[in-house]
Amino acid sequence: MAKIIGIDLGTTNSAVAIMEGGEPKILENAEGNRTTPSIVAVSKTNERLVGLLAKRQSVTNPKNTIFSVKRLMGRKFTDPEVQKDKAWLPYEIQAGAAGGVEVKMGDKWYSPEEISAAILGKLKADAEARLGEKVEEAVITVPAYFDDSERQATKNAGEIAGLKVRRILNEPTAAALAYGMNKQKNEKIVVYDFGGGTFDVSVLEVGDDTVEVKATGGDTHLGGDDFDKKIQEYLVGEYKKQEGVDISKDSLALQRLKEGAEKAKHELSTAMETEINLPYISSDANGPKHFIMKLSRAKLESLVQEYIDRSIALTKETVTATAPKGAGFQLSDINEVVMVGGQTRMPAMVEAVKKLFGKDPHQGINPDEVVAQGAAVQAGILQGDVKDILLLDVTPLSLSIETYGGVATPMISKNTTVPTAKTQTFSTAADNQTSVEVHITQGERPMAADNKTLAKFLLDGIPPSPRGLPQIEVTFDIDANGILNVSAKDKGTGKMQSVKIQASTNLSKDDIEKMKQEAATHAAEDEKKKELVDMRNQAESTIYLAEKSIKDAGDKLPADVKTGIVEKVDALKKAKDGDDAALIKAAFEALSTEIQKIGQSVYNNGNGGPNPNPSSDTNGSGHNPESEPGSEPGTESRQSN
Amino acid sequence: MDEPQEQNQDQVQNSELEETKKQRDEYLAGWQRAKADFINYKKEEMAHLQEAVKYGSEDLIKDLVSVMDNFDLGLRVLEKAGPVEKGIYMIRSQIEDILKKRGLAKIETKKGDLFDPATMEAMTEIESDLPHGAVVEEIEPGYRLHEKVLRASRVIISKGK
Repeated sequence: MAKIIGIDLGTTNSAVAIMEGGEPKILENAEGNRTTPSIVAVSKTNERLVGLLAKRQSVTNPKNTIFSVKRLMGRKFTDPEVQKDKAWLPYEIQAGAAGGVEVKMGDKWYSPEEISAAILGKLKADAEARLGEKVEEAVITVPAYFDDSERQATKNAGEIAGLKVRRILNEPTAAALAYGMNKQKNEKIVVYDFGGGTFDVSVLEVGDDTVEVKATGGDTHLGGDDFDKKIQEYLVGEYKKQEGVDISKDSLALQRLKEGAEKAKHELSTAMETEINLPYISSDANGPKHFIMKLSRAKLESLVQEYIDRSIALTKETVTATAPKGAGFQLSDINEVVMVGGQTRMPAMVEAVKKLFGKDPHQGINPDEVVAQGAAVQAGILQGDVKDILLLDVTPLSLSIETYGGVATPMISKNTTVPTAKTQTFSTAADNQTSVEVHITQGERPMAADNKTLAKFLLDGIPPSPRGLPQIEVTFDIDANGILNVSAKDKGTGKMQSVKIQASTNLSKDDIEKMKQEAATHAAEDEKKKELVDMRNQAESTIYLAEKSIKDAGDKLPADVKTGIVEKVDALKKAKDGDDAALIKAAFEALSTEIQKIGQSVYNNGNGGPNPNPSSDTNGSGHNPESEPGSEPGTESRQSN
Repeated sequence: MDEPQEQNQDQVQNSELEETKKQRDEYLAGWQRAKADFINYKKEEMAHLQEAVKYGSEDLIKDLVSVMDNFDLGLRVLEKAGPVEKGIYMIRSQIEDILKKRGLAKIETKKGDLFDPATMEAMTEIESDLPHGAVVEEIEPGYRLHEKVLRASRVIISKGK
């Protein structure tokens, strides 16, 4: 089935997204960019250009380059808004049929729908090229304040472009959809959308499967472009003061400065200070001149503070004023705030919104793409993806096996989609260990005892052998219903034990949350505990090694070396029973250094005795009186099927 | 009395069989689809990964290109041509070579070429002897990274006489 695309048809830029694998994904255009300028032109050679190509020739062809046509969609020529826009738009506008608007491009007059259709046509063609299949249907977004005729005009534009418009969706609703907020009942949401050329604020209320627009506000002539202009003006002014040169007349210099200003603005979203560095920007009788100026975040904020303040005042009005001006809510009634538009990356803006509502706004999704993504989500709902009949669950918590020292070693980590299976090979931790206990736990804590026990069973009949030699293959297998099968098999004898746990995912949402919370609050102390256990395991392994080496070397070992090692072994044995990780570490290191003497003395004696090579084998598990499967990194193999 | 009961049972079994068959087909279709989805996803991810490798350093290259432009601006006003200056030219060509190896190519734009918005950006228009719409001067070179236009060449175009 052909995909339905989601389109954010913006005033300055547009974007397209589709649903793929249950997630919205932005489609790049033919030029390899994620957004397309909403510009259409007829070039001097009578060629129709759309997007970036139209933008590239706009300076020299202003009369035939149509931008911001969204401002004219569905409007009457006599509208005061249209008259206001007519004054500054460089292309010609006249009254069309039925009192509508027409714009001149080349030697022909076009309706705004036809211009928008050209943009939509390019978006459609580029999407088809990316997807490798035909696209026939779309969801298109419009501002929440668009009236019926403006919506109809947008729909018509889609039809002209050869798209069946399945839904005209409000931009703020799309943003809320992208954040999955349509599922939360009775929520009041504010969408703060600071675009390139327009500022829109909307108040939404989510009811039963519906998102209702309670109020809209904003300023159709306030946007990120104003910020750029302000910074540019400031820089030109400062430069004139410093160098006595006016670069505002030099088009290349101005273009470089514009780019420098934009780059600086972006950088100041993360850095506190940036340097605009444009060598050879101009020249005079004394030779070349450079532009070098530092711009701090504080300076930038002071330059644009008035715009931010205005947007905040408008937001407050839209939320609190009584209808029809506003939603008539208290600021504290608002449950969620969503940031849309590239300019909302500015920390001062986020801070101002946060201050107004007393809560952190959502800004996890790229603010330039969030509306298109939301349109794709709506498209996905309309498409009713056939595949979605098969809903796959995830394991809410990690499923682990207890390994030596009480450590919970995860077999299937949380949020893994089921059905799935994992197999890992463990070994014994002690010589002649004939059984292992398989202890299955659920939870995020690193120590098994802190997690929930799901089951325990014993695999016995392992033939006596040195520690680390037996290979015990443990498999965790969860089916689609959350039933967990755990089996342990001794590869040597083929002996096998298993257990079936019916309700591995049968925890209530609250339980899961509680367990996750606990894991988070105990993270630091758990980490310490685990470190201590790891240290102890290393210590035991080294003690085992040291004792074995002494035994193996027998008489070949000089008495003083042997005494030294025995002393250190005793010290470490004592330390490891305590809780002081630093002490264990010191004793462990002392012993590690000491046992190297075995090798040295054996080699010095000129015979190739056993080389314990302690430096490369101190991670193994140590002597273990209990019957737990010790995780043996040396012999461990991980495979998944 | 036995016969109708048997018939009934047959019917029940038949409808159960039908239902099971339907389910089987549904499940098989779902499984096939999931498997196909996965294979396609793998293919797409591979393509995506290749793209990422190809264009992963795009931002860095873009930044370096503007450094190179500034280098050129500097070299243009460098009047002397001694060994010191030659060294500077050599450093510049080192940078260019490094970027070339990563897929950067200069877009060739000559005086008199017809303006092409696919690779050029018009900065301004002046009167000249050249035909209308022809490039009078390239004021900043454009670059391609593999197939993508990284930056269009900035040109002054002619509006004729």
